[in-house]
Parts: sequence; C-alpha cells; structure tokens
Amino acid sequence: MSAGEYMDKKLLVFLGLLGLSFVLVIIASVIPLSAPTDVLKLILLAVAVVANVLAFSSRYYLYLILPLFEQRKRDIVIADQSPYWLSSTSDSILQKVGDDFVATVYINIPLYRSATEMSDEDKLNFAQQVSRMVGISKEPTRFSTQLYVMNKDAYIQKLRDTITTVEEEEAKLVTGNAPANEIERVRGKAAMWRKMLDNVGRGSSLELSSYASLSAKGGKEFEAVSLVQQKARELMSGIGATFGVSPNVVLGNELLKFVEPEYLIPFSTISEQITKNIQEEVI
Amino acid sequence: MDEEGVMYLVFALLMPLIGFTILPSFGKGGFAIVAAALLILDVILVMLMNWADFILFPLVTNLLGITFQPAAGYKIVKGQDSILKEINGLYYATGFVTGNLFGYSFKQETALQDEQGKMIQAPDTWERGVMSIDFPFKFHVIAAGLDSQKVRDEFEGKRSYQEFQLSRALQGGGNEVTITDIQRKINIFQTKIDRLSQGERPLASVMYFETTAIGVSEKAALDSLTSQIKSLQISMGSMDIDLARVQGRELYTLFKFNFGLPTSFEEMALYFDQQG
Repeated sequence: MSAGEYMDKKLLVFLGLLGLSFVLVIIASVIPLSAPTDVLKLILLAVAVVANVLAFSSRYYLYLILPLFEQRKRDIVIADQSPYWLSSTSDSILQKVGDDFVATVYINIPLYRSATEMSDEDKLNFAQQVSRMVGISKEPTRFSTQLYVMNKDAYIQKLRDTITTVEEEEAKLVTGNAPANEIERVRGKAAMWRKMLDNVGRGSSLELSSYASLSAKGGKEFEAVSLVQQKARELMSGIGATFGVSPNVVLGNELLKFVEPEYLIPFSTISEQITKNIQEEVI
Repeated sequence: MDEEGVMYLVFALLMPLIGFTILPSFGKGGFAIVAAALLILDVILVMLMNWADFILFPLVTNLLGITFQPAAGYKIVKGQDSILKEINGLYYATGFVTGNLFGYSFKQETALQDEQGKMIQAPDTWERGVMSIDFPFKFHVIAAGLDSQKVRDEFEGKRSYQEFQLSRALQGGGNEVTITDIQRKINIFQTKIDRLSQGERPLASVMYFETTAIGVSEKAALDSLTSQIKSLQISMGSMDIDLARVQGRELYTLFKFNFGLPTSFEEMALYFDQQG
C-alpha cells in the first residue's frame, strides 16, 4: 500500500467509525422513552463509545484494527510473508511496500579503537567524530553498534573432525601393535584436542561490530537497489573521511547477522547457554 | 501535537459533546447516570489513547489475549513488549529500550565546559557499560540532518515569542518563578542558535537499544529477555539517559526498521511525532 493509499484508507476508516458512532447516538436519542427501550438506548450508546474510541485509535493503530475486523480472532496475522528477500546483487535486502520496493543496504564500519588507549583529547575528538558521522546524511540513516555471540560453528566442527582423525590414528596404532610410547603420544594429542573443544564450547565469546544502514525506494527492484547503492557510496565516503577508515558494503549471508535474531546467537552456543542457564537456576 | 492529531481529537470529542447535550433523551434517574458515565468513559479513553496509548493498548491486548504476527515466523506477544521467533524448537525473544542520548548531542542548556567534560567521559562510560554486558544487544541511532536555516528560523521565532512573554511578565509584575522560567527558555534557544552559528548541524534522531534472548519455551525466552533488559538498563544507566522499555505500536515500528528504514525525514517524523 502506498503512502497516499494508506492515508486515504486511514481517513476512510476514521470517518466511517466516527460516522457510525454519531448515527448510533442519534438513533439512541430518537427512540421513544420506555422501560425496555431505555436499555436498548444504553446498548447503542455503549457501541457508539466503542466505535468512537476505535475511530480515534485508527490514527496510530490502523495496521491492527483492519486485520482485527477482518479476522475476528485472537492471533491476528498482519503479514504472512517473509519481511524481506536478498537482492540479486547480494548487497541489499528488499521489501515491497505498496507498489514500491524498498532496498536496504548495510555498511560495515571497521572501527577498532578503545577508550583505554586514548588521551582526553583523543576521547573528545572521537566523541566529536561520532557526532559528525551521525549528522552526515540528510536522509534517515541508522548507525548501529552490535554485540553478538561469535559464530564458532565452523571451528567447533573442525575440532571435532580433528579429534575423529586422531582417534582413528590411535585405533590403528593399537590394532597394529605399535610401540607404547607412540600410542601414548597419539592419546595425548587426542586429549589435548578434546580439552580444547571443551574450552571453546564452554564459554561464549562476544564480538562487537559497528555498521550503518540506509534505505531507498523505487518503482522497480533494480531502481531501488541502484538508488541505495548510490546513497551507500556517498555515505561510505563521508564515514571514511570522518574516521579515516574504509567502510565496506556487507554482502550475502553476512547481512543476516544484522537482520535475523538467530544470527546474534549462533546454534553452536545455544545448547551451551541453555545448559548454563539451567545450572544457574538450579544453584 | 500536530494538526492531524488536533483534528482527530476534536472530531472524536464531538460525539461525547453531542451525547451530553441530548442526555435527557437517554432516560431519567439511573439510565441518565449510566449514559453520562459511558460518555465520560469515552472522553477518558480518547484522552488516554492520545497521551498514553502505550499503556492502554497493551492493557487491552493483555486482557483479551490478542497477539499479532507482523511477518512470517514472528509474533508480537500480548503484552506488546516483545517479538518472538521460533527456529527448530528454540525461541528468540527480542525487545527494545529507548536510549536517547540528547545530553550528548544537541538539547542541553549546559555550559560548553561541562559538555566537553561529558563528551570526554562518553567513550569511557560507553565502554564500561558494554564490557559489563554478556548477552547480545544492538544500539541504534537513526539520524537525519536538518536544514540549518529552517531550524535557525524556528528557534529565532520561539525565542522572540519567549522575549515577548518576558516583556509582558515584567510589565505585568509577573512573579519571580515565571520570569526565571521564561529567561531559562530564552537561554536554551539562544544556546541552540549560537551552536548553529558555530557550524553545528541540527539533527532529527531516534536512539534505541535492541536485545535478543533465547529459551526452550516462549516463557523462558520472554523471562530471559526481561532479565536482559533490566541488566541493560543497569549497565547503561551511567550514561544518564532515559532507558524505558518500548511497548505498543513503537515496538512494531522498530521491528519493521530491521528490514527497511524510512526514506525521508517526513516519513520518519510520521512514526515518531509524539516523541518530538
């Protein structure tokens, strides 16, 4: 739904509900007074009050009021499709808003400075640089810092593979009647890798990333994507000039790290974290 | 409140006004009292929706047990303060916390020296806060640069109005508190105008935290999220900012921002007009 259509619909719903409320009040007022009709009048008035409050609420809650009326159930579906898809150029995510496409690009800002190694002057400069960066663009731009759990899936898998290889080596040596010191050496190696896997899996390591994101609208997918690419280039040059770093556009699956909640806590650490939580609860 | 808000409010209050004028037609005695109570309730609900919809709306959805699916795979819970996603039997709960760092950017009437001290401390305070957090979170600043001249004209207009108020208060023998308050307002506008003259660029900004927790059930994930949000509020409390949990329609807006941002300042203002 375009912004214009949304406004039309919003106004229509407001006037419709408000009209209903007025009509009900007027009907209630013209019904002749008598014992049974007095109750009916109050019922009509109560419905008019509900319609009036809903009319006023439609200003902000139209996105919920319409599906609520249509579906008339407790679990209301506002949208049943994925909120975005990856563009064919893999450098942005796309969503359809009314007749338009909105492309959003994520820019990685490689900032690795710590306040512990800064003088007071450096800290003031840094704070001013951040203020300057935030005001670079006239169009809404989002600057973010994200702390997330490091993805150790690949490393853990590599360790498991190594342990399997060493265990196979040990089994071969044992069945082949190899010298005892050789068997001991391989067993020691296996113990070392197991301990390493244990250590890696025990604690979750956190990573901090800074990035910027911005969107552009277009009538066609490629139009939105090329517009957002153009905006991203301008923003990257501004950020680069402010901090003296080389920002880069985030590509492909790396984008998901900034979009999907499950990428903040990768699978390998989930079971470990849940176990830790249960242990804490027991203690 | 903007013009649209005034229009909505005026039209919505017309109905109870008409209702009161025709109150006798609803009967006598008890019937009239109930009708008057309904009309008063209408006024109260409209006012609440206008100034505190973030309280009323979650209350209604909580009472009726209403949940929303904003997109495939996601669910906004009945408390309207968290978004759930289920992946292979595990639940990810996401919540938002406001974090407007105005003190560090544009809105204070503090002396430059104080502000410099605050700016010097900011990286340290931030780092200390982040180091005490051991769960995933994001801090977002959505900003749009504004036209300096337009903003300057607006501030000058507001300053002139306050100067007019001050002259009236002085002539009319206004009390000390009123005069001090007007002078303080004039100082705020003057500070802002001075800073614009020094080349500072005015900004429209929305700042917030986002955090995600996991659990083996919806309840576990939501409980974990609540505890994370409390930790976040404690850790970032040293930044001297208002850290309130986001509820209601703004939760849905911030959720949508993860997949697409407003493309113009006007569109951004549409979402956050009540926050100024």
